[in-house]
Amino acid sequence: MNRIEEKMRQLKEKQEKAFITYYTAGFPDFAATKEIIKAQERGGCDVIELGVPFSDPIADGPVIQNASARAIQNGASIKKIFALVQQMRSEGVSVPIVFMLYYNTILHYGIQEFAQKCGEAGVDGLIVPDLPLEEQEELMRSLAGSDHTILIQLVSPVSGARISKILEHARGFVYCVSSMGVTGQGADFHREIKTYLEKVREVSPIPIMMGFGIRTSDDVKPLRNLIDGAIVGSNFIQMMEENNFDPTVAENYCSKFKTELNE
Amino acid sequence: MNKRAYYGNYGGQFVAESLMNALEELDAAFEEAILDESFQNECGYYLKQYVGRETPLYFAERLSREYGMKIYLKREDLNHTGAHKINNVIGQILLAKRMGKKKVIAETGAGQHGVATATGAALFDLACTVYMGEEDIRRQSLNVMRMRMLGAEVVSVRSGSNTLKDATNEAIRVWAKHAEDTFYVIGSAVGPYPYPKIVKTFQSVISREAKKQILEAEGRLPDAVMACVGGGSNSIGMFAEFIAEESVKLIGVEAAGKGIETGEHAAAMALGQPGVLHGMRSYLLQDSDGNIKLAHSISAGLDYPGVGPEHACLKDSGRASYVSATDDEAMEALLELCKLEGIIPAIESAHALAYAKKFAEQTVQRMGKKEAGEQILIVCLSGRGDKDVNTIADYLDGRGYLN
Repeated sequence: MNRIEEKMRQLKEKQEKAFITYYTAGFPDFAATKEIIKAQERGGCDVIELGVPFSDPIADGPVIQNASARAIQNGASIKKIFALVQQMRSEGVSVPIVFMLYYNTILHYGIQEFAQKCGEAGVDGLIVPDLPLEEQEELMRSLAGSDHTILIQLVSPVSGARISKILEHARGFVYCVSSMGVTGQGADFHREIKTYLEKVREVSPIPIMMGFGIRTSDDVKPLRNLIDGAIVGSNFIQMMEENNFDPTVAENYCSKFKTELNE
Repeated sequence: MNKRAYYGNYGGQFVAESLMNALEELDAAFEEAILDESFQNECGYYLKQYVGRETPLYFAERLSREYGMKIYLKREDLNHTGAHKINNVIGQILLAKRMGKKKVIAETGAGQHGVATATGAALFDLACTVYMGEEDIRRQSLNVMRMRMLGAEVVSVRSGSNTLKDATNEAIRVWAKHAEDTFYVIGSAVGPYPYPKIVKTFQSVISREAKKQILEAEGRLPDAVMACVGGGSNSIGMFAEFIAEESVKLIGVEAAGKGIETGEHAAAMALGQPGVLHGMRSYLLQDSDGNIKLAHSISAGLDYPGVGPEHACLKDSGRASYVSATDDEAMEALLELCKLEGIIPAIESAHALAYAKKFAEQTVQRMGKKEAGEQILIVCLSGRGDKDVNTIADYLDGRGYLN
């Protein structure tokens, strides 16, 4: 079974809400990244989104843009990130890991080779923000036939009639973007957020995770009955930067958020 | 896969899910508009009365004698605002109005598209914000001033290389947030479908006129048409009506910067590989990890690491050929046109002139002087060089020409 789907099953059994974080791989370097990921796992993070830095991150706001640029400057590359995941797996890290990356990174690597390498390294899922349903055919073909790595689908507040089509073959969880635009804009959710989440809830056979602009568990409190978990990205990265990439801070933040989310 | 969105293997819609409905809405509105006679009339009216079309197809007699072929210049430099960019802006702004949008945004490199968009927004009373790289704002202060005078807000983009590529990223981000009430006016034949189609449609007025004009002047089609290629808007406009005319050679000229071998160039077709950027799959300059490489050209308008998807398709099919000219070659051709014809071309357009010279030389070699002298070449003079005077002065200074 796929690691993400197995985790979702366990959470459902325990009736627990998921806490998911995003962190840019290689920011500021790989040693720090590894310690932060391990700390997040200790803190009770259910899935870790690992951002693969790209030169032109059109779906990201300033915080992740800056983290990506610095990671690239410090030598981060997709090959090194695969090596990092592989190494962490050998050191016992078992939390599901999802790559969030732009499609060109996959294309340039070679789609088939990329899919295979994800399986080998222990990457359980992919989130590709610039690959809408209409463009997924090639990647889907390469991921098919193995349970190692699945494609996570995104829906947005204006997806409307597209939602049911997108969810038709979706696996793991569905990533509900909370607002229009890019990551890290503050908890300024779309004005129709409730109607939108209700609509997704109605048709989704898989858990619903909400992301974009979430900082604390209070931000999602009014919506907790509509979602199965929350994703924090920019805010987490900013906090790491402000705290000199201290793993203890990461661990405490995750553990606090996860607890509050399930109170 | 949406087959309509593709030119062979290129094009597509590589954007965030939150933009997919906006693209569909745009496509539907565009398809409806271009079939509507009142929309066509409105476009035609503003192109004639406001932009000043049609532009002349000028027989450059002295240049022809110097180069050894019959060279006609399609004078897009005579358009209002000084370049071909306004053709597309008028079309897109009228479309924005028709769709009920109150705000327009645009990206700009050298500032020509930004100025054209600010102009159109002023004319039709729409709020306008232009995204421009911090570095380009510094280099092109005159155009920044123009845009502000025209009532546009110019936002400085500080990320990546602080140039056109990054300004485009930022415009896409802003559009993703405000697509519900904002129209994104893309200036080049790039971006997610339907943009490459829209830009081509509005720029094809260039070749529609040129075809009619050359038939009037010469009674036959040209042997070749030529245009510079950055993202590829003036070139796709120059090619459009000739694509089906197999006897006409189509030649796109990219910027070879300091020379293709130096790595400092903008020749996405010559050295790029297929990839995805700015919502499209096309040829792109990339490093070994698939990150986008910085382009280099003395002309800000060609300083782009990619190219429009239809050009990528025309290259693969062999219907068009893509070549390049260096900074030095372009500047030489620019000065030559000034002296021989009394026309100061934009540095972008001078790239096409530079290759026209080489092309004529090859033709003379192949056919002999007499026969070559009967060959007809149309070069798209996409813009005028007033905006480039500072750059030209710097260049001449560096080369010691002024001493």
